[in-house]
Amino acid sequence: MTSRQAGRRLMNAQARRRSVQSVRSRTRKSEPLTAKDLRLMLRLVACGGIFVALVAAKLLLPAKMAGFNEKLSAAMERNMDVQAVFSAVGRAFSGEAGVVEEVYQAVFHPQEEAVPTGSVSPEAKMTTRTPKIQDGAALDRLRSFRTEPEASASEGSSVPQTQPASNLAYVLYSQENLPEGVSMEQALLGFDYCTPVEGTLSSDFGYREHPTEGEERFHYGVDLAADTGTEVRCFADGTVTAVGDSSSYGRYCVVAHEGGYSTLYAHCSRITASSGTAVNRGQKIAEVGETGMATGPHLHFELQREGTYLNPIYYVSSL
Amino acid sequence: MFLPCKIRVSGGFAVLAAWFVLANGWEPLATVLGAAAVHELGHWMVLRRLGAEITAVRLNVLGAAMETDRRRLSYGGELAAVLAGPTANFCAALALTILGKDRWFAAVGANLALCAFNLLPIRPLDGGRALYLLTSWMGGPAAGETAVRWIGTLSSAALAAGLGYVMWRTKGSLWLLPALLTGLRWGAAPWFSSAYP
Repeated sequence: MTSRQAGRRLMNAQARRRSVQSVRSRTRKSEPLTAKDLRLMLRLVACGGIFVALVAAKLLLPAKMAGFNEKLSAAMERNMDVQAVFSAVGRAFSGEAGVVEEVYQAVFHPQEEAVPTGSVSPEAKMTTRTPKIQDGAALDRLRSFRTEPEASASEGSSVPQTQPASNLAYVLYSQENLPEGVSMEQALLGFDYCTPVEGTLSSDFGYREHPTEGEERFHYGVDLAADTGTEVRCFADGTVTAVGDSSSYGRYCVVAHEGGYSTLYAHCSRITASSGTAVNRGQKIAEVGETGMATGPHLHFELQREGTYLNPIYYVSSL
Repeated sequence: MFLPCKIRVSGGFAVLAAWFVLANGWEPLATVLGAAAVHELGHWMVLRRLGAEITAVRLNVLGAAMETDRRRLSYGGELAAVLAGPTANFCAALALTILGKDRWFAAVGANLALCAFNLLPIRPLDGGRALYLLTSWMGGPAAGETAVRWIGTLSSAALAAGLGYVMWRTKGSLWLLPALLTGLRWGAAPWFSSAYP
């Protein structure tokens, strides 16, 4: 550094100090502040004001503030499912239909499950972090079942559809809260059915550790492991209402049966039935695969009655 | 580490990013930041091609912005640079859809969302700047200023109303609030400041 440069540096430093002094002297003489100073001052006053107001409110109205606090925390925790919204937009871009409802679901009802009849929203389902718990609903149903055994038995013949034939499942799950839209009852279907795939039961209906995400989730169907290409036979007579491809279900199809029942067949390598056609019990509708979120070739089989998930284990046999 | 320019991160960005992670998790943040990187890369490539210096990249409450010396750019050149960001996002979405088959839907969606958001005709956003440049090019800077003021204000009011509606309906998603306020500020800003540099 030459002496001239050093001299310039000193001069600059002095000039800066002078300007600082001049600002100080100006404020002392209460001369008008510069716009920047004023803005900073206003910000400080506003922040201080908010702080003091909140402390005062907490001290003077503790009950009201506690209520407000609760509301605010709840609002902070409720969030739309951003990732699901992005996924839905991405799928719409790739030409998939029926995504509008999915976006709506992810924005406004991120915690609830979609009803997979017609428009399946598996994305919203897979990304749900905390399933809504129906507190004690299963217990209530169990209690009414236990307290009125005669009544339900006498009515049983007239309304066979809703009469639970086994209360084993109730006992197993009575301590555990079921997510909304799940029933552990064994309904009498009222039509003939068959096992869709001859395979090994690899995952049961109910809470389980998610194989890829790792956390505990409710599994809405049963998994029947079988080799890729094994034929998937239709559970019962009905009509194919949806054939689709999604990131979590992979290639899937939905078949509607009589009495408001419907079945879903997921992770298939190929769907051989087409949407809208009538299918018979035992007819080949798809082939086993591992499309979507799957760790091996299997059929994910779901059974629903009017939007309520039922445990399909009562109606399928496994090797 | 070599960086082509300065990167300035504002406090607002850090706070909002942290809030976003708490509300939505890491995965969406990574998706959004990836899309933002593609966007800025689009701008950067065209600006470099046009020979403009990029002085700094700022990360503020609503994403990233590049500081450049754009005095030497023509209307057409600047328009190309402005539109390069959204175009890069759109191309990325297209490429991810074709290459990813059904794996990268979230990234596709994030790119499309960023593309659409940036094309809103509100001024600091690419859409607003493109609108200003186009109208200025055709009808002079005064016409550009008028167009941006009116269209920008109306769009920002619509944006704020939309975000407000989402928050009201979900009774949550409060992390959108800074976006809402910033949108309103953008809409109001042209009425209080002088013409755009």
